[in-house]
Amino acid sequence: MVLELHVWGPAFSLPSIDAQCLATIAYLSLALPKDAWVLVASSDPSVSPTNELPALRNGNTWVSRFRNIVDYLRQYSAGDWDLDAELAGLDRADSIAFTSFLDTQFPPLLALSLYVTSQNYYNSVLPAYSSQILTWPSTWLIPPQIRAAAKRASDHLGLSSLDLVALEEDRKREHSAAVAAGRLPASLPLPKAAPTITSGLATTHRFRMEAVTAAAFEPLAAMLQPAQKNYLLGGDRPTSVDCLLLGYASLAALGPESLQEAWLGEALRQKAPRVVEWVRRMQREAGLASLPWRKPERPRWVTVGNTLWNTVADATPIWRDIRANTRMREIAHSQEADLSGEERTALAEYVTGYKKDVWLSVAVVVGGVAALVGYMAHVGLLGGGEGDEEFEEEDEDEEVEVVQPELPFGWSI
Amino acid sequence: MTSERREAPGQTPDNATAAARARDFFSVPAPVKRIFDKFPLVTYPANDLPYCSWSNRQGNRLFVFTDAAGARHGRPSFNPQCLKWQAYLRFAGIDFDIVPSSNHASPTGALPFLLPALPVGNNAPIPSSKLQKWAIEQVHCEEEQQLNTRFEVYASLLDHRIRNVWLYALYVDSENFDAVARRLYVDASTTNPAVRAALALQLQQAARAELLKTSTYIDAGALEAEAGEAFEALSTLLGDSVHFFDRPNPGLFDASVFAYTHLILDEKMGWKRDRLGQLLRRHENLVQHRERLLKFF
Repeated sequence: MVLELHVWGPAFSLPSIDAQCLATIAYLSLALPKDAWVLVASSDPSVSPTNELPALRNGNTWVSRFRNIVDYLRQYSAGDWDLDAELAGLDRADSIAFTSFLDTQFPPLLALSLYVTSQNYYNSVLPAYSSQILTWPSTWLIPPQIRAAAKRASDHLGLSSLDLVALEEDRKREHSAAVAAGRLPASLPLPKAAPTITSGLATTHRFRMEAVTAAAFEPLAAMLQPAQKNYLLGGDRPTSVDCLLLGYASLAALGPESLQEAWLGEALRQKAPRVVEWVRRMQREAGLASLPWRKPERPRWVTVGNTLWNTVADATPIWRDIRANTRMREIAHSQEADLSGEERTALAEYVTGYKKDVWLSVAVVVGGVAALVGYMAHVGLLGGGEGDEEFEEEDEDEEVEVVQPELPFGWSI
Repeated sequence: MTSERREAPGQTPDNATAAARARDFFSVPAPVKRIFDKFPLVTYPANDLPYCSWSNRQGNRLFVFTDAAGARHGRPSFNPQCLKWQAYLRFAGIDFDIVPSSNHASPTGALPFLLPALPVGNNAPIPSSKLQKWAIEQVHCEEEQQLNTRFEVYASLLDHRIRNVWLYALYVDSENFDAVARRLYVDASTTNPAVRAALALQLQQAARAELLKTSTYIDAGALEAEAGEAFEALSTLLGDSVHFFDRPNPGLFDASVFAYTHLILDEKMGWKRDRLGQLLRRHENLVQHRERLLKFF
């Protein structure tokens, strides 16, 4: 049986645009014989039941995520395809800790660099998606979803202002709100954006960027000391954590030839110059230039319709929650899922609890709207002239949108 | 399209303009505007700070999640973030009093924070992110991050892997939430059932949102497997030493580990589903490490 690895498609002369996919490709390329696997750039997470890429397919079995794929390959080959087999003691502990470190530090930085920084997203990443990776109409649907997820994932770094387009939109919205509220005359034009916003990256970002990149790259530089070390854990052959670093650092090291604002690559060159060299050497060693590609299937109308349906569903507030919840329940109840009995009950319980919350939020929205309408009827606001009745519906729409978002304050726990 | 005809705010529109406005999709609808014109109805003066027996103490005061009895005896807090800093200051030999508090009282929205006896700068409270710097200035202990390159790397196990599984075990797991978190965080803060229900919901939502930041769905099995690996790595790192990184005295890393291991193994927490405890008890040296450090309290 030939294993199929499904990944996000190629971009920036790398075999994939996603770091986890790159890491998995490198791992398979280093651990498996060439004829044992094929690489399919399907670029559609819905191919796998968990709705994630990278996903490895072996007949009817699907495994997703880098770590799970590594574990599955070890079990499947009875220990033959395992780069970590020789690790013991402190090396194994280091491998676990490095993996955790890379998984914590890199995804938010890559999200900021590729998706949140608007120059990079609109000038490099979006064109890559539409020309090489996706087909119409997914090009309209999938990149904005990934971008929204990237914004959520990098929110805590406090650099969301790298998204200049959103800033500009906020400014316009504030302006039109001020006009609508009668605070500004409509004839007053929108003031020109401040020069810091239009010319490249604002200097105000610099300090924050220094701090977040230093937190990730300085320990990384220390990990690759001393200079004669070929792999992260010493040793004379690569391990899974090298593959993971290769995946993340390949994207982090992208220079100005690929991205318009290559601030992340610059920071990496400055703070961990050896990593850039190391990445180039590892890319050659992992043979990323010659991979067993297989053409993905042409998208059929069913798949296209499916993607469209999923996008609409996931963009609708309450429906989205119900869907997420059903997906979890399916995982909990499917017998094939690799869960112990206890875990399955726990997951099922969690899902049922979650479902209650969803219905509670539906009830809150409906109750809120009813209370508002009732109050307005009571006070007599709705009994006015002909024009007023039209407003009634509009109010309801607005109310639904106002109640649904996050709770008023965040508990930091 | 009606913008040229717009009148000054507060003026009553006549029927003709009202009809014209109805067509203007983007203007604020008149009934809504009429409601909001009435706000604010009354602005109350700010409340006085609540008086309590702790407010006239002179020493350093660390505000953490704890109960009144725990605060009197300086017992460990039941929140890992608070316990980490409580333990660190205790290990560093700094004198301080514990004050029970909640997120709502904190200037940054998160506990712990410290009010120093000798004010620094503009008498502002010190948030947890600056506590280490403050402690170094007070007792001139070393900054451990500089001493060992593994510090930051292994700290990510605690801040990420173990924190995530902690969030899952305490807030998302419904049995544990009802038995532990509800008692410690919700019931302690108010007696009003409606507020309790809202607080409980918010806590669980916040924990879920935090977990969903890094993955598309919450996979309990994967979280527990990662925590198991994390404990294994920490156990290997500790080895036969008394403290992490072979230090003569416990330091920040020991405090961070202790904050989780103590709460996971503490019988007073009353865990219903003790999966984390099972994973942790496999590593005898981590259990002994916790017992050694518990003597400081």
